[in-house]
Amino acid sequence: MKSGCQSNIFKLDEALREVDGYLLVTEYLYPNMSMRESCDSRRHVQADRGYELDVKLATDPKLTLQSYGSYHYDALILFAPKVESLGGNLDAAAISDFVDSGHDLILAADETTSDTIREIASDCGVDFDEFEKAVVIDHVKYAITPLGDDHSLIAADNLIDSTVILGSQGIKEPILYRGLGHIVNPTSELGIKVLSASPSAYSGRVGAEITDLPNVSGASMALVSVVQARNNARIMISGSLELFSNQFFESSVQQSGSDDKFEKSGNQQFAVELTKWTLHERGHLKTSNVHHHKIGETNEPAMYRIADNARYSLGIQEWNGKDWQPYQADDVQLQFYMMSPYVLKTLSHDGKGLYFTEFQVPDVYGVFQFKVEYNRLGYTTLNLAKQIPVRPFRHDEYERFIPAAFPYYGASFSTMIAFFVFGIVFLYHK
Amino acid sequence: MASTAKDARDLFSAMRNAYSKTPTRLKVIDVYILYGLITAFVQVVYMAMVGTFPFNAFLSGVLSCIGTSVLGVCLRMQVNPANKEFKDLPPERAFADFVLCNLVLHLVIMNFLG
Repeated sequence: MKSGCQSNIFKLDEALREVDGYLLVTEYLYPNMSMRESCDSRRHVQADRGYELDVKLATDPKLTLQSYGSYHYDALILFAPKVESLGGNLDAAAISDFVDSGHDLILAADETTSDTIREIASDCGVDFDEFEKAVVIDHVKYAITPLGDDHSLIAADNLIDSTVILGSQGIKEPILYRGLGHIVNPTSELGIKVLSASPSAYSGRVGAEITDLPNVSGASMALVSVVQARNNARIMISGSLELFSNQFFESSVQQSGSDDKFEKSGNQQFAVELTKWTLHERGHLKTSNVHHHKIGETNEPAMYRIADNARYSLGIQEWNGKDWQPYQADDVQLQFYMMSPYVLKTLSHDGKGLYFTEFQVPDVYGVFQFKVEYNRLGYTTLNLAKQIPVRPFRHDEYERFIPAAFPYYGASFSTMIAFFVFGIVFLYHK
Repeated sequence: MASTAKDARDLFSAMRNAYSKTPTRLKVIDVYILYGLITAFVQVVYMAMVGTFPFNAFLSGVLSCIGTSVLGVCLRMQVNPANKEFKDLPPERAFADFVLCNLVLHLVIMNFLG
């Protein structure tokens, strides 16, 4: 079922993504038809942004992500927490390969999550609580809504503070959530908790008495998290499928213990902004036109000499969903590196995406690299390195008469004169 | 204490007396040698202050001074009439050797000076 809206070719990164003749498609997988209806508005949100959606049932036997080595889709949205075995030739390994090849994944779970979905999530670095039938329960910050107020429906507002990931407007309303909690390894550099649970939340069975310490609890429990892989594929994992449902989008919400009642929950804005980030509409950088040359020349030399003045420049652009815009940042740094950075300079930029700096080559010869390593929360990582040798002075590149050596010149000549005078005195002395 | 100081003074005056009896020619050579050594010493102190940057220039300066001093010592030995070893060597021959060696030395120095 394809949407009838505008279908742009979504150029993420020209080399990787553009496949001639095919349009970007995202694929929804639902366990059954009724779930599909409830997530309708989500689908329309996607369609309005110019994606082509291919919606399929999770157990559809014709499911396939790729054929003959090339992928049909640029991103996969997996909203099928109950499904034990996916249809067609999809399984946890196929989805891992899909992500490894640079494509994005959005995964949602709920209290009926099967082992297959848990395995896919843990391949991505996120571990759901394994305690059977456990959901996130919060007796302090649960939500009071027209939908009911049992304590497993919580109103969460511990969002990460990042305008790249969550949009520049910020989400002011709490977000309704009902589902599993998970853990992102705190030492992982790639996983980020976007929506965390409040310190009073824990993962346990509804209505049951707690006999053991909960596996996951408190602020280290994540409700929605994202992982940006080293190949810049982005994965969003949410423990609640209902977070994306029409009901939650349009419900009003009030946190227990607070008097503010919000007409509309923050769910829709949250879902839209986070999927924008996950599908690379924000925070996706590319570099172009990396140049270096001696100041005063324009061509790139094959080798520098020590004490040369060099200039390095590159362009960085950010994709904003429609086109490439110049990226504005003051913290991109260049290293002139040989085993350790001899020169470290912050690049200045001209507002149009051109970053440049000038420096003097240090007094050490060897094989250096111009290195730009840029790693910021929510942005793709930039890792550029360009190798360049640096040579010492040639013997004829020194001054003809070195001022520091004048005493030695003077001494040698004075010795010669002394020898001459001595010879005369010695010979003609009576 | 007092006796050692008196002995040292006696030693110095004895040395000065003996030295004043050397022929003038040899004293001229001695002055020349001393000049070379002082110049070498001054260059070494200068290098200790500023570092060895043009090391070849330093070497050629110091070696030219030391070299002529050494050649001067050889000349003095050969020309000294009190020296039994070189009794049969005409002093002109010694001087000619001195001049030739110095020429070679200064040629090398000029090349190495940079």
